[in-house]
Amino acid sequence: MSMMKFQTVERDSFFSRLDFRPKLFMVAVVTIVAFVWESPMLQIGLAGTITVACLLVGVKWSYIRTILLIMIPFYALLLLTHAFFNRDQVMALRGIESVNQLSRVFTFPENWPFIGGSFATWEGLNYGFNVIFKTLTLTLIIPLAVFTTEVDNMIVGMVRAKIPYKIAFIFSSTLRFFPLLIEEFSMIIEAQRLRGLAMEKMRPIKRVRVYAKVAVPLILGALVKSQQLEVVLQSKAFSGSPDRTYLHESILRPSDYALIIFFVLFFIAAFYLLIAFGIGTFGGPI
Amino acid sequence: MSEKKPIGEERKVEFLSGSAIDGAPLSYMVVLASVVVALSFFPMSAILSIGGSFPMSQGVLGLVGWVLGPVAGAISSGIGALIGIFLAPHTAGIPFIRIWGSVVTSFAAGTMVLGMKRKGWWFWVWLYAVLSFLYFIGRAIFINGVGLWPAVANSFVDWSALILFALPTRTLFAKWINSEKLGLVLAGLGLGTWTVFGLAHACLAAITYHMFNWTEEVFIMLIPLIPFENLMRSIIGMVIGGGVIAGLRAIGLVKPENAIY
Amino acid sequence: MPDKIAVFKDVSYKYPRSDDFVLLDLNLEIYEGEFLGIIGSTGVGKTTICLALNGIVPQFYGGRFFGSVHVGGLDTVEHPISAMANYVGQVFEDPETQLISTSVENEIAFALENLKVSREVIIERIPQALSAVRLEGTEKKHPHELSGGQKQRLAIAAAIAVQPSLLILDEPTSQLDPVGAEEVFATAHELNQELDMTIVMASHSAEEMAAFADRIALVSNGQIVAIGPPDEIYADIEILESNDLRPPQVANTFYSINKRGISVPKIPVNLNDALPMLDSLSELSQSAEFILSDPEEVTGEALLSVKDLAHVYPDGTKALHGVSVDIAKGEYVLIIGQNGAGKSTLVKHFLNLLQPTEGVVKVGDVDTEEVSVSDLARRIGYVAQNPDNQIFNASVGEEIAFALKNLDFDDEEVETRTVESLEAMGLTEVRDMHPLALPKGDRARVVIGAILAMKPEIIIFDEPTTGQDYRGAKYILEISRDLHKMGKTVIVITHHLYLMPEYAERVVVMGKGTILLDDVIRKAFHETETLKSTYLSAPQAVHLSQEMQKLNSAFPPLLTPGEFADYFAFEGSAS
Repeated sequence: MSMMKFQTVERDSFFSRLDFRPKLFMVAVVTIVAFVWESPMLQIGLAGTITVACLLVGVKWSYIRTILLIMIPFYALLLLTHAFFNRDQVMALRGIESVNQLSRVFTFPENWPFIGGSFATWEGLNYGFNVIFKTLTLTLIIPLAVFTTEVDNMIVGMVRAKIPYKIAFIFSSTLRFFPLLIEEFSMIIEAQRLRGLAMEKMRPIKRVRVYAKVAVPLILGALVKSQQLEVVLQSKAFSGSPDRTYLHESILRPSDYALIIFFVLFFIAAFYLLIAFGIGTFGGPI
Repeated sequence: MSEKKPIGEERKVEFLSGSAIDGAPLSYMVVLASVVVALSFFPMSAILSIGGSFPMSQGVLGLVGWVLGPVAGAISSGIGALIGIFLAPHTAGIPFIRIWGSVVTSFAAGTMVLGMKRKGWWFWVWLYAVLSFLYFIGRAIFINGVGLWPAVANSFVDWSALILFALPTRTLFAKWINSEKLGLVLAGLGLGTWTVFGLAHACLAAITYHMFNWTEEVFIMLIPLIPFENLMRSIIGMVIGGGVIAGLRAIGLVKPENAIY
Repeated sequence: MPDKIAVFKDVSYKYPRSDDFVLLDLNLEIYEGEFLGIIGSTGVGKTTICLALNGIVPQFYGGRFFGSVHVGGLDTVEHPISAMANYVGQVFEDPETQLISTSVENEIAFALENLKVSREVIIERIPQALSAVRLEGTEKKHPHELSGGQKQRLAIAAAIAVQPSLLILDEPTSQLDPVGAEEVFATAHELNQELDMTIVMASHSAEEMAAFADRIALVSNGQIVAIGPPDEIYADIEILESNDLRPPQVANTFYSINKRGISVPKIPVNLNDALPMLDSLSELSQSAEFILSDPEEVTGEALLSVKDLAHVYPDGTKALHGVSVDIAKGEYVLIIGQNGAGKSTLVKHFLNLLQPTEGVVKVGDVDTEEVSVSDLARRIGYVAQNPDNQIFNASVGEEIAFALKNLDFDDEEVETRTVESLEAMGLTEVRDMHPLALPKGDRARVVIGAILAMKPEIIIFDEPTTGQDYRGAKYILEISRDLHKMGKTVIVITHHLYLMPEYAERVVVMGKGTILLDDVIRKAFHETETLKSTYLSAPQAVHLSQEMQKLNSAFPPLLTPGEFADYFAFEGSAS
């Protein structure tokens, strides 16, 4: 059942004491910067910082490992295809005219069948690293912000950040209700097997159809429940209006402002360096 | 008993509909977002025992839009996808791309309206998808040196969806989904899912391709895989949607204002 | 006479898209500080009465509304639901859907936040509300971490945190096991006694309502047909039976005795009131015709055999240990025990849904671990609790044929068996309808029909009576009896012991993952201490019988009110 609880870090840190709003701001800035940068070194630095930060604040290594394990085949594909095949783009980015000017890191012997003579370039490899670490940053920045925030603080923080209360409410209620659906999902699968369904014997397309059928009672049951939920909400004077009080507070403290200021400066600096000195471009100074 | 006349005086009932976003009750949005989360746990690769990993939840994004309408559908799917990412990292991929894809898919589905209301909304989604598609294809061919044919074949899902969404086929699918005949409903759901996900695929391709810059070899490799995945989504959308819509009609649950089923 | 807190005056109501009035000219007064019980079979309008008290009917549902409902002087049609929420707290049936927050403290705060109560006051009220339902210290827990009874108590805490003048509980115990139900009744009783809270509770639990309610209102066809103290209402067995309601067993016992011509001074509705009356009964002689009719013990080779079974869940929970049991062909076995005793875990091993950590489970000669779930399904049919999780198809006919197609029968066989099964369940007429368009009781029949079509030798019913009213529960149990007569082996899991003497032959009592007792029903139900150790209580007739045995050691161990009545010699017949 542990997977069904929204993961929050257990460690109390500078980060877990922060308000949700500066963290949202951090996510926005880091995402934009990672997206714009094309420099492998800077991307490695950024992704490394985020990963270390995740570990420091207590995001479980098992979570990060799951992501890495899933992404490794994808990363390998990126790296290999860019190293061996990305020619036109890196040449254009580096302003190189001819393939021969690219630095080779590895060449298959000429006499090998099919792949003989093909070679990996240093520039392609670099571009691959840029993409891989960019992806990693984008993937890990969100758990860094979300797992270090209590759901309660997230909701109030969202409301204070002018996200409509209704949306914050849907967010928190979804967190409450999805475990029920997952439990129901396994009950339905069980019921189907008990009616003679043998998934292991099926061809892929049929298996997809059968699996999809499981979702039907799940969704219908959920929608029927939603009517009961509506009655419950009514009886508790819920109107969806943000004009209500909140048990939990969301106060911006000096440390919160400090984080916001830091990321404002970081954002300005990143763009200034990019435009003025080309720092962050592919083949730029760093 | 219906013949009896009550003694009490009839009262004027102020009908207070519950809290809603764009005509869709919040409770419906909560449960459908929960469904998206729950289905995020099931990667299709595990089900198919072949490569390519997208969660089963992608098959219902279109349905969420058709049931809740564009705005509420997009919010529900987006929140579901967001929570799904934290809880099921094994099917997540890159967070904001997954979220954005879910939002666009359900929104596009919700704009497949039949009446006059919001008649023009589809166009803006379509335009966004066309511009994304042009950026993607343009960047591939002119900057990264991908050949014309591999690019065209690779993007079959995208351009087929763009065409189907622009032609009257869009309203035809919606009409089928709205039809009494289950066969037509299924056809509408299957083709509709193909179209709206293809559209979202085009939008996402612009972003992901900007980052990944796949080479021609990868383009060629993916030619059979992308349509196969979309076909799987369409089948899921068809089976789930068909069952759910038949069931909803049988239960007689209150229809959200902008539903098209 | 205390003040009136709520008044229904000539209330009639029709839901939108419905042809019939669910309430018709209903009049009812609720007094401050009382505990009012509302009883009636499913669909008579109990829930509608509850929802009318805070204006959800008609303001949320719409429809046509006649007459008036006043709560604390406020007309519920004229004041918005959110304003009524200040005066009326509601607790609903399903423990899951009514908890909407991600922590206990948020759940209690939710309504207060909506009512714009200040943060300081909310912080004060949370511990107050939690201590009133004895859930102190759970503030930060996720609702998922609470038991069923705790969830309902949390729902009560959330409702009373608003400090309403009226607390309404609509079937709050029907989804709970006996421990949970007891917790909820005790909480409601305490709130009523100690905090003087006015309580309105709709429930099918006759024994508890007789013990705790000040007044009982019997609802039928949208009207109050009888209202009065429990002594009066529950003693009127005829009116209860004509409304498909189950009287408390003590009342039924004395009523049946009385009907035999043995006069009793009054019909008691509580066990304690009945005990002093046993003295005079013990002086009566036994009827010459009375014999204890017990079913013949079924012997023979085990169809299902479990040997030294242990099961440890991946998280380390030891769910079963040292379980051995044999079930022969043609038996009707009842499995009972508190939630978490291991009943479902045991049954899942029969179906190979779970595999033994230690030990062996066999069906006939076959080790269940070596057979696929789908193949086992041909031999063992399993009817799970919620029918809606077992309905996958868009028509009743397809639903019945679903398993047959999966099991690769040819088209002809599929059709024959489908028709047979539809007929057996009385569903032929609705073959082409969507199963979800049928009422809940009928949906249960669709699921049973779908399982019967596979012609299993063994049929397991997992809590078939939970959430059903008396008629619905009896109906399903009648089906189980018919199947048993056809020679099937039947296994039933239920908490409703009082329903079972007419059906079951043998009882397996489980507690903490082991079998505490395995005996014929007459002996098992009289092992009241063993039952108590797994939080079950024997039907009142059993308790009465044991009290009689204290007065007269020759008194037989009886199980039902009917047996009681048959036991005594009819006084008139002797003369």
